[in-house]
Amino acid sequence: MSIDMSQFYQVFFDETSEHLASMETLLLNLDVDNPSLEELNAIFRAAHSIKGGSGTFGFTDMTSVTHVLESLLDRLRKEELRVRPDMVDAFLAAGDILRAQLEHHQGGPEADAGEVEAVCARLNQLAAGEEAVATAVADEAAVTAVAPVAAPEARRVLLECDLPANVVNDAGMLANLLEGLAEIAALDIRRRPDAASPRFSAVLTTQKRDAELKEALAFHLSPDEITLADPEQPGAEVSVAAAADDSFGFFDDAPGTPAAEAAADDGFGFFDDAPGLPDTTLDALLAAPQAIPDEDKSGAYGLFEDAAGKLENLPNRDIKPSDSPAAIEGQGYGIFVDAPSGVGLFDGAPGSQHMVQATAPAPLGGNTPPAEGPGRRLADSPAIETAKIGRRDNDKTVTAANSETSIRVSVEKVDQLINLVGELVITQAMLAEAASYLDPAQAEKLLAGIDLLSRNTRDMQESVMSIRMLPMSMVFSRFPRVVRDLAGKLNKQVEMKTIGENTELDKGLIEKISDPMTHLVRNSLDHGIETPEVRVMAGKNPKGTLTLKASHQGGNIVIEVIDDGAGLNRNRILSKARERGLPVNDAMTDHEVWQLIFAPGFSTADVVTDVSGRGVGMDVVKRNIEGMGGRVELESSTGHGTRTVIRLPLTLAILDGMSVGVGGETFIVPITSVIESLQPRLEDIRTMAGDSRMVHIRGEYLPFVSLPEAFNLPGVEDVTKGIVVVVETEDGKAALFVDELLGQHQVVIKNLEENYRKVPGVSGATIMGDGRVALILDVTAVTRMGLANTRRLRAA
Amino acid sequence: MEHSDNSGTANSGEFLTFTLGAEEYGIDILKVQEIRGYDAVTKIANSPPFIKGVINLRGVIVPIVDLRIKFSLGEPTYDQFTVVIILNIGKRVMGVVVDGVSDVIQLSSDNLHAAPEFGSILNTRYIVGLGTVEDRMIIVVDIEKLMTSSEMSLVEAATA
Repeated sequence: MSIDMSQFYQVFFDETSEHLASMETLLLNLDVDNPSLEELNAIFRAAHSIKGGSGTFGFTDMTSVTHVLESLLDRLRKEELRVRPDMVDAFLAAGDILRAQLEHHQGGPEADAGEVEAVCARLNQLAAGEEAVATAVADEAAVTAVAPVAAPEARRVLLECDLPANVVNDAGMLANLLEGLAEIAALDIRRRPDAASPRFSAVLTTQKRDAELKEALAFHLSPDEITLADPEQPGAEVSVAAAADDSFGFFDDAPGTPAAEAAADDGFGFFDDAPGLPDTTLDALLAAPQAIPDEDKSGAYGLFEDAAGKLENLPNRDIKPSDSPAAIEGQGYGIFVDAPSGVGLFDGAPGSQHMVQATAPAPLGGNTPPAEGPGRRLADSPAIETAKIGRRDNDKTVTAANSETSIRVSVEKVDQLINLVGELVITQAMLAEAASYLDPAQAEKLLAGIDLLSRNTRDMQESVMSIRMLPMSMVFSRFPRVVRDLAGKLNKQVEMKTIGENTELDKGLIEKISDPMTHLVRNSLDHGIETPEVRVMAGKNPKGTLTLKASHQGGNIVIEVIDDGAGLNRNRILSKARERGLPVNDAMTDHEVWQLIFAPGFSTADVVTDVSGRGVGMDVVKRNIEGMGGRVELESSTGHGTRTVIRLPLTLAILDGMSVGVGGETFIVPITSVIESLQPRLEDIRTMAGDSRMVHIRGEYLPFVSLPEAFNLPGVEDVTKGIVVVVETEDGKAALFVDELLGQHQVVIKNLEENYRKVPGVSGATIMGDGRVALILDVTAVTRMGLANTRRLRAA
Repeated sequence: MEHSDNSGTANSGEFLTFTLGAEEYGIDILKVQEIRGYDAVTKIANSPPFIKGVINLRGVIVPIVDLRIKFSLGEPTYDQFTVVIILNIGKRVMGVVVDGVSDVIQLSSDNLHAAPEFGSILNTRYIVGLGTVEDRMIIVVDIEKLMTSSEMSLVEAATA
């Protein structure tokens, strides 16, 4: 057994990060006053999966933290304890610790041991509270599926199971197992397993519920391999005997339960619901004596109320889709889907017909009577605290479901695929061009084939590109926590809303956008949203709203960070700008004033806090976003809030460009920087100081940058024969003079530096439809370069 | 001067020989990725004249250097017989234009003689040695050192 576990580490790291993230999201969304069982269960499952994984891989530090976390969560979801806000804080802190530990295992710095202990101690303390209540609940729960008599306190349970051979043959393991059991229950061993038969049978005297007993054996046996029965109940003995040889215990007493796996999944659900059953099994037995083998089953479903006639309700109740995450529903309750066949032999039993009918449609969610969820159970059973879904099995099911529907692939592989498809597109364009010279009458079939090829390649490119696309929720999901922590620190009340989190964005952009967004969110919280008192005075809701919104607009994705805070203060910005010696005047438009805050080192904050105010923010935000080929815009209205709009291209790899011809070469101007193109008249070109040329366009004088001069290429001499493209550069508008406009394309950006080096004025290259390389212009750099070149040429 | 510390791989083994004007040069064949014809290149502004520009080599942007111009050898004509040797140097791909590719030869260190110091454009530090094969003199060039040198200005100065 020398499997190298390290090869699976990455999977564990990935999965654990996901679990941590989902746990955090769930915690933040948790309604503390009225927590839903479903959410608590989901949080518990996440913690449990981390514990399981870290245990398997021997990361004991994580196992111990999750264990403590899990214990508290377990009590919460059993409703033994009430959720309190401080618990959520403790959970979040524990999540942070786990993340730090996870990073440590990935080669990061070690987690602070003191913090770990503090968090564990806090969780333990929280878990220890209200002990008495918990015990009472446990007692109440102490009724088993088949036990007709509800034990008021400690009860006796006959546990039967076939132990796996490795346990039976290993005295140490067996002893361990028994010890484990002895911890939770008084043991009266009826039959020890031996080489001849692995059957283990013991009467346990315990207060624990069935599910917990099974959990004690979970290392060796799946829950459905264990039968628990009342030792005084002969019916149970019968069923045990019948079940002796099959692994599913008395579930299989019902012939025609072919859904072995489905049944296995459901083991827990069955038992967990069962504790709530009033002691009516006997009645049921009497009512349907001929159905004894099935009684276990009907016991499970049928005992809630008083008679078999009630059966029709119960399958529905057990299905309770609302109790389990959607992904699990289908599988977790698979048994019910298959149940009709299994239940078929109920025919003789009263009420069974109903059951069959009720069962079949229920998983589809169609005919299920409404409100069969937790709410209903609350009303029905005094012991709902214990009613829950088999989490262990659900966990397995989740993993199984995920692995079936998604695979993990390295980004390099995807990128390689994207590159290859890019090649294919170019090849296809070349073919199409070559074919355009053919006589359509003669080469009809070939041309049709090429048409088809072009459609297929386009579709293929789209779907390949979509592999890299991730939903914006990947970015948004980190903010509830940021907002929560910050708002707490700043004593502000903030509600965060997200809109359009399913908008998809290229993975590369997703990774790069989160830092600038964090900045904007922090800014909004610190400078934008006011303290509750100020807000109330301004006649606003004391709770501020921060909205994160993502949407598609044409070929762009638009991300907005909107707050309903104080807005930007024009006068303050202007006076700060004057202090810093920036060229400002009172006649500037709001838009121009807002742009000032993007200047490096600009901050209007009076006090530098550890949140923001150092002025190293907005300029970095702007630079980052422009680095991604995007733009930032600000809209603000004093007293009503600020809206920051980020426009990004859909992907880093593709750029919308306008192709222009200069001296026989083709250049691409990013369309995001193009404002307009026009043919200048001779009188529009003015000179300044005899050399620098300006173009007069509708009252504005823009620097005239001749691309032929900038690139030392032969170009048209007569300015009236060429075209000027007005572009927005970092230094303001400029007019680029080119020979001609060629067209507009989506181009795949290729790196020039990979095999060559940085070329001044050029941000990258692309391959055109004819297979030739075209350079993509960096308009800011080319403008500066062109102006410098012109000066040099004129000087010479 | 520095050729004593030349990498071992270039000292002996198989060499691809090509001509530049009347001279015959050899380069380590392991650095050669492929040989292809000369395609239209995209010029790169403000670059030295021997850098012809970049081409699209199956989706990879590859810079093309004309060694004839660089060493002032032969007539830089571009027609269907012009040959480009695509080199794989480090992680980079680059192409060199030569007059023609002759053959692949085996040279042992015995056949390699140190080049005398003289003032040519091709600094002797890029020359591994002079090989002799049947009366032909083959100038064996350390192409990696040459192509990544700052005077070729093919790579950023910092990495040269």
